[in-house]
Amino acid sequence: MSRAPSRGPAPRDTIKSEVTLEAIIQAIINGSMTGAYYGLAALGLTLIFGVIKVINFAHGSLLMVGMFAAYWIIHLTGWHPYAVLFLVIPMLFVFGYALQGIVIKPVLEAQREVREPTEVIIVTTGVWYVLDNLALMLFGAEFRTVKTSITGQVFFLGDYFLPKPQVYGVVITILTSGLLLWFLKYTRMGKSIRAASLDRDTASLMGINQYRVYNIAFGIGAAIAGIVGCVLIPFYYVFPSVGVVFDVKCFIIVVLGGLGSIPGALIGGVIVGLIESIFPMFMTSTWTELIVYAVFMAVLFIRPAGLFGEKRDW
Amino acid sequence: MKKRTFRLTKLSIMVFALACSLVFVSGTSVMAAGAKEIKIGNLLPLSGPSASVGIQNQWAIELATEKINKAGGIKALGGAKLVNIFTDSKGDPNVGATAAEQLINTDKVVLISGAWNSAVTKPSTQVAERYGIPYVVPVSVNDAITERGFKYTFRLAAKDSWWARDQFRFLDDMKKATKTELKTIAFVYENGDWGSGMKEQWTKLAAQFGYQIVLDEPYPSTASDLTPVVMKIKAAKPDVLLLTSNAADAILLTNTMATYKVKAKAIIGTGGGHADPSFRQTTGKNCENMFDVVEWETDLNRPQIPALNQEFKALHKFDLAGESVDAFASVYVIADALERAKSTDPKKLRDALAATNLCVGKGKLGIDILSYDCVTFDQTGQNKNAGIVLVQFRDVNGTMERVTVWPVARKGIKPIFPMP
Repeated sequence: MSRAPSRGPAPRDTIKSEVTLEAIIQAIINGSMTGAYYGLAALGLTLIFGVIKVINFAHGSLLMVGMFAAYWIIHLTGWHPYAVLFLVIPMLFVFGYALQGIVIKPVLEAQREVREPTEVIIVTTGVWYVLDNLALMLFGAEFRTVKTSITGQVFFLGDYFLPKPQVYGVVITILTSGLLLWFLKYTRMGKSIRAASLDRDTASLMGINQYRVYNIAFGIGAAIAGIVGCVLIPFYYVFPSVGVVFDVKCFIIVVLGGLGSIPGALIGGVIVGLIESIFPMFMTSTWTELIVYAVFMAVLFIRPAGLFGEKRDW
Repeated sequence: MKKRTFRLTKLSIMVFALACSLVFVSGTSVMAAGAKEIKIGNLLPLSGPSASVGIQNQWAIELATEKINKAGGIKALGGAKLVNIFTDSKGDPNVGATAAEQLINTDKVVLISGAWNSAVTKPSTQVAERYGIPYVVPVSVNDAITERGFKYTFRLAAKDSWWARDQFRFLDDMKKATKTELKTIAFVYENGDWGSGMKEQWTKLAAQFGYQIVLDEPYPSTASDLTPVVMKIKAAKPDVLLLTSNAADAILLTNTMATYKVKAKAIIGTGGGHADPSFRQTTGKNCENMFDVVEWETDLNRPQIPALNQEFKALHKFDLAGESVDAFASVYVIADALERAKSTDPKKLRDALAATNLCVGKGKLGIDILSYDCVTFDQTGQNKNAGIVLVQFRDVNGTMERVTVWPVARKGIKPIFPMP
């Protein structure tokens, strides 16, 4: 990491600091860690889409609810941020389950004959606004952070920095997605969810209560948002519209990886994380957003269903 | 038939409104009977998005006027009292321009003061210029306001570009005082209008003050992760890091820099996100010893501030802020000009304003609380000395506070420079 040779005050275009191998390795480390929690955030969205075939615009708000839940529990009890998971996961599951059962189900039922239930998208947008503004009313617009025992702590791997909250985030992401895959593959409920996602009418004919499946899928999606909240809270801030920061990113990741695909969400997250981390070394960080969208479009050109998406007619 | 009744009602409403306003106007003049009165038009955003600051400015002006009138008014004009007419600009340039016309033609004010929003100040000063009515601008920071060759516009507040200038002046002072070597500089700023505007100023000033720019990094304020930006700062190893950030990104940058142990000899913010109270709360120890620029702080080394602040707070439950202080001081500047002009003739008043030379310690409360020493206007009507103060985030009994360190700090307070 050497400094650019001194040439006196240089005009903007000639500012170039050398990009060293160490810097690239550190950027790859950072990008993968960031990508992991991006992927985890997108996981809930992709699950809900895969099952209900509805883009949940309130996903960022669920994330916000998860972050606020984690924030308040840690703030009030002083627990370890990951001990809070045992409270936040059931809380968010119940919240998601109830949200689907009470708010979204009636609209889904009314749209039973419709091939693409667009009204549901509008309803989730409404939920987004209601949740964000409720949080604004209850907690105010200010930014909050909570200092935990791992905040600002770092593992060192030689000269490389591995911030502890992010490292644990990677571990939690791997555990969560592993558990989710196992659940979907081997449990009875998981099989029902997959059946309903393949063909809800046939699944219903086989005796699967599709609305119960939807409630549970939504509950799991919300619970994953709660997990992301617990992962983020040791190093991130929370405020009522924090979900918006992640919303668009999650949509890109999900579409990039393939709608409804779990490995797709994770790989998509890591790809976006790496782009955001490596490209700023060669250009200003304002431009990396453009690169993310360019890669996104290129992937859609080559594989319209996304990297891991199956080519099928939803 | 029906139409005529409607017209009649409309007419009667208009007559009624006119009568009401007449009663109101005569009411004010009755109140001020006895001594002569001098009408000053105040154009402020009293409703709309900037209403909160507009109303605070109104309170400051009312308090200053009351103090001046109590002390005998304008002595050179037989103890004439200052009478304020407040007009709501709604923060809207069109409303502001019309209101200025009204103040001049209907209310016959001798001087206009206002208008807080730069966008309103621009057209309304133009109106005043056309009529040849002096216009005092307490706060509106847009550079162009005093750069249009106007003869009747006088601004107390510092220009936008002076914020950047004073960041560099501070660095220069510190360089000399502490014998710290500062050679390289990095600019990290949000990629909007404000950030890129600051960057342009910084680039010019860096060349002028002899710094080598090692990083010039705009970033989107809504970024979910700023680690890449922090890595670039780390690689560039600047002596000085200048920031222009909104709240969320200021928090994220500061905390991420602490995690990656990125340090500089001086890190200076540009208000905005760094001035947001939640910045201090959310970053805590991580922001310790960082600097920020601001126009005024309550802890300035001026003995009159605590009592005045208490009086103001008792009345309105708000602390004095930089902008209300400028408004407060502007009334004293206007009163002083009236004393010296010995007339309310706009031309004479304008010349008196241009010759203003009001300094701290001459018994003028409004001047004694400013962060700089004298109010004098240059050729363009800009207050030459209007300054910016630098604050440092310090741990005061366990909480992070903004402590003024430059140019005039309280006794016993010195900037910690370079940052450890």
